[in-house]
Amino acid sequence: MFRLNTLQKTVILTILIIWALVNLFPLGVMVVSGFKTTREIFLSPFSFPAHWSFKSYKEAWSVANFSTYFKNSIIVTIVSITATLFIASMAAYVLARFEFPGRRALYLFILAGLVLPVRLAIIPIFLLIRKLGLSNTLVSLYIVYTAGGISFSTFLLTNFFKSIPMDIEDAARIDGASYFRVYWQIHLPLLRPALATVTVFNFIRVWNDFFFPLIFINDNTKKTIPLGIQNFFGEYSIQWDLLFAGLNIAVIPIIIFFIILSKQFIGGLTEGAIK
Amino acid sequence: MTARKLFNKYNYLILIIPALLLYTLFIAYPFISSLFLSFFKWPGIGPKLFVGLDNYKNVLTGYMSREFFRALGHNFYFLFLNWTLSIVPGIILALSLAAGIRGSDFFKTIFFIPNTLSIVIVGFLWALLLNPQWGMINQVLKAVGLDVLAKAWLGDTKLALPTIIVITGWRGMGFYVLTFLAAVVGIDHSMLEAGRIDGASENQIIFKLVLPQMVPIITTVTILKIIWSFNIFDIVFAMEGTQGGPAGSTDVLGTLFYRIAFGGLGSSQVGMGLGATVVTLIFLIVFPVSVLYIYIIERRELRG
Repeated sequence: MFRLNTLQKTVILTILIIWALVNLFPLGVMVVSGFKTTREIFLSPFSFPAHWSFKSYKEAWSVANFSTYFKNSIIVTIVSITATLFIASMAAYVLARFEFPGRRALYLFILAGLVLPVRLAIIPIFLLIRKLGLSNTLVSLYIVYTAGGISFSTFLLTNFFKSIPMDIEDAARIDGASYFRVYWQIHLPLLRPALATVTVFNFIRVWNDFFFPLIFINDNTKKTIPLGIQNFFGEYSIQWDLLFAGLNIAVIPIIIFFIILSKQFIGGLTEGAIK
Repeated sequence: MTARKLFNKYNYLILIIPALLLYTLFIAYPFISSLFLSFFKWPGIGPKLFVGLDNYKNVLTGYMSREFFRALGHNFYFLFLNWTLSIVPGIILALSLAAGIRGSDFFKTIFFIPNTLSIVIVGFLWALLLNPQWGMINQVLKAVGLDVLAKAWLGDTKLALPTIIVITGWRGMGFYVLTFLAAVVGIDHSMLEAGRIDGASENQIIFKLVLPQMVPIITTVTILKIIWSFNIFDIVFAMEGTQGGPAGSTDVLGTLFYRIAFGGLGSSQVGMGLGATVVTLIFLIVFPVSVLYIYIIERRELRG
């Protein structure tokens, strides 16, 4: 995009490499420390471990309930993202394709959720969840994550819907297909790239959330990874080998997942989801 | 028109009902309900007692005011420093990525990794790395002879908040870089070519053609940053606890609110009404900016 001489290219490359190292160094320390003993972490911080051992990992995994946290995080993420995708895409279909009285007001009403941080409404949400008897359940998390994802997802999908030519749908309607069938059979498949972007954004939001489990969940068997990690750090604060191993267990799967799908992640952002 | 005809005409609206129901019940209604609650004294169970503006008096001028304004100041400080630390380096990195150097996809992936991590996990990781005695950061500083710089990063009242802001910046940078990059890449290349034909240097191209085109995205990011800055909680909670230590030097509105509404203060001050008041005040700060954001989005959409 820019025309650069060799010197400028070198400077730019140096900037990029430095920032990459600033990103990778802490993560590298984390990974290596997970294989060390606490003594090694303290006394020989710059060396690799004398023995690469998975001992801390095994111990962290078993003492900290990680299998439960993982299971919960996976279930919560899958359920709430699936629900968000269906609910928001149906709403976006209506908002983008039909003209009816109050359409604009409805659209603005939903759009408002883009900038209303859900956390600010936490007290009434908490009371509502309590009244519905859903405290301490994963269902409470499905509900807030789905509801909290509607605005952004609907907004993104509405814009995308508008870019699909209308003719396809008119043809199908003339053939007598119901609105739901048009949405289901014609639009959803065309919407796939946008759905991928929406999934990626919601994934990061839901998988990493700490706040709602903190408020809703007490029971150790219902905790998700971020809340579980907090629990774990409270209990094993001086066993650094366990702490690092625990962080690795929590973090490495998500990093691998991200690297595999980085095209979708980065594509979603660089195609201008945020304008 | 008969009811049946009306139904047939508008029956597609059924498809929007699930979204509307869930959104209204769990997002829109709680916002309004929170506002109402701020006029009551209520510990969370039992009858609510209407107290008018008492909660607001307590927070703004009464016994909570010192804590409230200290936290508010910290949020403003957070916004200011975090903005500075994200926008300028973010633009530089985005322009560097756009320059067309080989391997830029690799760098994009690396830069975004911290963003995929949960904020609390980032907080816990850095709390270990910044440990004054055993943390890697101070060990490195001491190893290269910079012992004077090996501080108690999270235990010093002057350093703790800036440290947390830098860590937040570390985690968030990937998002800003990629968002800015999208804007740079989206610029019409023929415009840049035209500039070159007119004899503009690459510096002029960047400062006179590229940066002005980035003003809208910088505006958007600034607005989002304002909204987010008044909602920070996780990173402070993870690194300094609910009290926002040391000595309240990192206490922000989020942690103050959490203590009031969900415990951690003494029972006399725990209150849903008082908590709702703090939240409503945060909302009043954020609201004008939110309206501005919606307005900008709408205007851009109408323009196409």
